[in-house]
Amino acid sequence: MVPVSAVVGSSAVLFAIGAFGFLARRNIILMLISAEVMLNAVNLSLVGFSWHLGDPRGQVLALFVIAVAAAEAAIGLGLVIAMNRNRPGAGVGDLTSLKW
Amino acid sequence: MSLLTAIFYYMAFACVASALLAVTRKNPVHSMLWVLALFLHVAGIFLLLNAEFLAAVQIIVYAGAILIFYLFVLILLDVPEEVARPRFGRHWLFAVAIGLSFAALAALARVETLDPEGVRVAPTARPVAAVGPPQGSLEEIGMALFGPFALPFEIASLLLLAAIVGAIVLAKRKAGGA
Repeated sequence: MVPVSAVVGSSAVLFAIGAFGFLARRNIILMLISAEVMLNAVNLSLVGFSWHLGDPRGQVLALFVIAVAAAEAAIGLGLVIAMNRNRPGAGVGDLTSLKW
Repeated sequence: MSLLTAIFYYMAFACVASALLAVTRKNPVHSMLWVLALFLHVAGIFLLLNAEFLAAVQIIVYAGAILIFYLFVLILLDVPEEVARPRFGRHWLFAVAIGLSFAALAALARVETLDPEGVRVAPTARPVAAVGPPQGSLEEIGMALFGPFALPFEIASLLLLAAIVGAIVLAKRKAGGA
């Protein structure tokens, strides 16, 4: 099988793509989806190290990350719905009321 | 190159390609479908890394529940209007630089200290008759989850409860129109 550095490397590339998407996209739902991509990258490296070291605790931590991702999705999309009620659309470019 | 290695590299390549397509497509629904492809390929890598339970959780919870939830909220919005908007902010080159600096971590991950002799526990080299269940089995994860990880497990349940209540409070229409 592959060395663990291949797993961690692909995890880092996935995290980079997620970070780019979170910073560059102007749609709030796609920003949240990019955050999910980053969380998946972290899960990948946790499982990779768990496999490498023969330790199940990495998989347990990945399970917790999935639970936190579910909570984040619920809260984030609740915020999107509340925002959409006041101002239609999911663009973040016109959300400037907190800008000084 | 063995078959498993070839499958791993296919999965990793497909993950990176579908993630790239997901963050760059103009139509948000297409992005969601590419993220679905990404989640399924990550589940495939989990299978290769002896994490069968996590692969099932990844497909059921991530692809089945979280992604469908995102799609529902996306359909609530006006998709054609979102397609007409600009995809990226004006600072997207800055975001590319941030992403590339993270991708430099991929190069750092190739440092040989990650693969020292003695630390490596080859999963295939483990004796079958070793004490305890095989690595990555549901039994081993369950023993860890309800043993040393019992308190984080309960905190996770509390977090999910708070998220449920918070999502309902946020999405509920205010009676007084406040």
